[in-house]
Amino acid sequence: MASADVEDVPQKDVSYPRKLIYCGECTMPLEFCEFHPNYEKCKKWLEKNLPDQFDALMRLSEDDPTAGGEGEKKKQKRGGRGMIKTRKKTGPQKVTIARMQRNKRKYVTVVRGLSTFDIDLKVASKHFANRFATGSSVTGDDEIVIQGDVTYDIIDVVQDKWAEIEDEMIEDLGDQKR
Amino acid sequence: MFKKFDEKEHVSGMTPLKSSVQKAMKNKIIQMYPNIEPYITQIMPKKEGLKVVKCHDHIELFAVGNELIFFRQRESPYYPCLRLLHKYPMILPKQRVDRGAIRFILSGANIMCPGLTSPGATLIPAEQDSVVAIMAEGKEHALAIGVMKMSSTDIQTINKGIGVENVHYLNDGLWHVKL
Ligand SMILES: [Zn+2]
Repeated sequence: MASADVEDVPQKDVSYPRKLIYCGECTMPLEFCEFHPNYEKCKKWLEKNLPDQFDALMRLSEDDPTAGGEGEKKKQKRGGRGMIKTRKKTGPQKVTIARMQRNKRKYVTVVRGLSTFDIDLKVASKHFANRFATGSSVTGDDEIVIQGDVTYDIIDVVQDKWAEIEDEMIEDLGDQKR
Repeated sequence: MFKKFDEKEHVSGMTPLKSSVQKAMKNKIIQMYPNIEPYITQIMPKKEGLKVVKCHDHIELFAVGNELIFFRQRESPYYPCLRLLHKYPMILPKQRVDRGAIRFILSGANIMCPGLTSPGATLIPAEQDSVVAIMAEGKEHALAIGVMKMSSTDIQTINKGIGVENVHYLNDGLWHVKL
């Protein structure tokens, strides 16, 4: 463990580039998994993919009281920030609908959050374009803009196409400003 | 720098770097990080061209093949990417924070002085504005790359406020950029 301290100079018994394993779940070096909100998922990944590492880790956390449980208490000491965000993939699943005014009497309908359901945005956009016979495009990381005001029908169209999006997972935000 | 960075929104294009520019960059890097010299041809092979990925806010990422190796913003120094640092830890001098600071750094916070001066931490001498690796108590690999906002002496004596600016950390936007 102390090896990295003196690694300002190359180590004789180490060959470079050093190889290290990153967690398939949180993508970090394995030793940082314990700080990830989805540590349990990390552990599952580890158990499945690298059983030896998993056993070693379990033994380590038994020997070392600071690795694991106690860290949980420590985090309170320094105030509220420091919550590590999970990537969108694992975030809450929610779709929102909003209407935005584009011109005096022209609107667009903005749909966000479809990718939290692992929906391909391009496919979704095309579906909307066909369904409403209008223009639709993917405009952001998780945003689709449909030309015209289709808020009256969009929730039904979304739920018809993707039944897994239940009523409480979709929300109409009403009119929004850009 | 990469807290809100999203490759889909912020990456605009990739272009090959002129060989003269490449050479200059290589020299600059060796000058800044002398420990890298024995490995520089491994990291930046002559045969394979270096590419620059231009991003918003004048951020530039430098890649060999599809692997990002360095980045900078405007005229900042070249910072190594974390994955490169993991492979070649000798590139940067290392500051070690206490265990309590880890979760803050992983959520993008700058490194406050007390996290560098407490018993679990190790503060080595470094000048203001120098680039350092952020290590952590009980951990082997770097979790962030930072720039000293004060000298180590000042961090020790003043012991409050931001000691090291967090420019790149595990799981930030840059960490997730795929070329
Ligand atoms: Zn993990």
